[in-house]
Amino acid sequence: MTKQFSVFLENSPGRLAKLLDVLGRSRIKVLAMEIAEAGNYGIVRMIVDDDEKALKVLRKANMAVNQTNVIIIDLEKITPAVNALGGVGVNIDYAYTMDSRKVVLKVNKEVEALNALSDSGLQVYTNKD
Amino acid sequence: MSTGNYRISKAELVELQNKRLRNLIRYVYEGSHFFRRRLNSAGISPDDIRSREDLKKVPFTTKTDLRDNYPLGMISVDRSRLVRLHASSGTTGNPIVVAYTQKDIENWAEMNARCLEITGVTSQDVVQVAYGYGLFTGGLGLHYGAERLGTKVIPASTGNTKRQLKLMKDLGTTVIACTPSYGLFLAESAKEEGINPKRDLKLRVGIFGAEPWSETTRRLLEEKLVESANDIYGMSELNGPGVAMECMMKDGLHVWEDHYIVEIIDPNTGEVLEPGEKGEMVVTTLTKEGMPLLRYRTRDITILDDDVCGCGLSHARIKRITGRTDDMLKIRGICVFPSQVEEILTSMDGVSPHYQLVVDREGSMDKLMVRVEVAEDFKSDRLTDLVALQRRLEEELKDTLSIYAVVELVEPKKIPRSEGKAQRIVDMRKI
Repeated sequence: MTKQFSVFLENSPGRLAKLLDVLGRSRIKVLAMEIAEAGNYGIVRMIVDDDEKALKVLRKANMAVNQTNVIIIDLEKITPAVNALGGVGVNIDYAYTMDSRKVVLKVNKEVEALNALSDSGLQVYTNKD
Repeated sequence: MSTGNYRISKAELVELQNKRLRNLIRYVYEGSHFFRRRLNSAGISPDDIRSREDLKKVPFTTKTDLRDNYPLGMISVDRSRLVRLHASSGTTGNPIVVAYTQKDIENWAEMNARCLEITGVTSQDVVQVAYGYGLFTGGLGLHYGAERLGTKVIPASTGNTKRQLKLMKDLGTTVIACTPSYGLFLAESAKEEGINPKRDLKLRVGIFGAEPWSETTRRLLEEKLVESANDIYGMSELNGPGVAMECMMKDGLHVWEDHYIVEIIDPNTGEVLEPGEKGEMVVTTLTKEGMPLLRYRTRDITILDDDVCGCGLSHARIKRITGRTDDMLKIRGICVFPSQVEEILTSMDGVSPHYQLVVDREGSMDKLMVRVEVAEDFKSDRLTDLVALQRRLEEELKDTLSIYAVVELVEPKKIPRSEGKAQRIVDMRKI
């Protein structure tokens, strides 16, 4: 399982730059990112290379942040993967691509999802791969 | 040093009040040009006021009277007997100057000592006073009270939060006196300094006042900073802090009725209300020598509870101040108090108790926006949850305030923190 960071940000110029600056200063690499916005605020979701350090520096910068388990799979296996998940009644809450070859999935039932993917012979990655 | 005997019966209190009221009326009639003129023009002679019940014949004294008689037009003694002058911040026009004789300072110290005593503070405690020392009465008032009770006092005054925390830790502070918003700020700052107040500090009691606060703020303060958070009430015109204090029952604030008579009035009609009815608190000072006040309109909104308290004290209680007629925002004709908003915000997960009310006018329509910080540990990765939180806040506000307010969620630490009174209201209306 990979941890995804969700950070609450105001939807205004410079906020995302501030977030990335906080991570960059500690040499934390962003591996995947997505922004969901609703009017004057939004949530930035991202996968980074060093979870522990990222949580520490984000908290220190007083950012509203939390972590969620996500699943990373191959983008080219997306069709068999969603078939496998749909087959066991797992819903995909949201998804976004990662370095053009992978895709990050947030599902409603983690254990069932991992079992279904493994049963179908589909590989699951982490942010260390 | 210790406190005098204030644990007297209701009947003794009433008798004492009536006696002191008769003396007071004669005293101000002889000593103050202002009050003599006031009473004369109302057709009242000192002999007409025999007891509390007669008080309602006496005209109110207002903040405007104090401003108009700047600096010392309201005093009732010869200037040579004054030993202290304090002044309130005058944001517009003249400040208000308040004057004390030596006896006034002694009574003030006595009342603050009682305030500490009824929360369980003893001479064994270390009291850190983080109210401002200076023209503001908060610092010195609590200081005198703590000294009178025989505690060790740390006159830390406001600001320099790191040093405040260091003093608490190194000197073993057991009682902190400051504004509730600064109390929350201290708790937050402690965390940043790597101090867990509940583990690393010994704070038993918090004496929190100088601004209205809510029951939920109490829970937060007791969870994060002190074992017991108690509300203290006062204002410079009435000596300063120590007019009323919450005892360990935490069911209202005891007004020291041997020194003050409290009435609750309808702020619009001036009519005296019954105990249990909500209105503006009006206070007559019974023992002040320098600048006594008759029926002073405090502009604070509360309810009087005249029943004997579970703690055994017969001094009547006022309910926690729910707002100030000056803090009161009038929006489309409806009265809104910051405390109402605070009560809602602090009862909800996902947001912090830091907020600001922004009022603006669009065309001829007043608009209220409530800016509130998302909690640093908000639990969701779903935008829909945030939108739902915002909607729920808007609904709760609508239910409580009877007007629609837009909620704006902002990042943690975005609302300016104050080390004195919190700036809760931004009024951008140009009228």
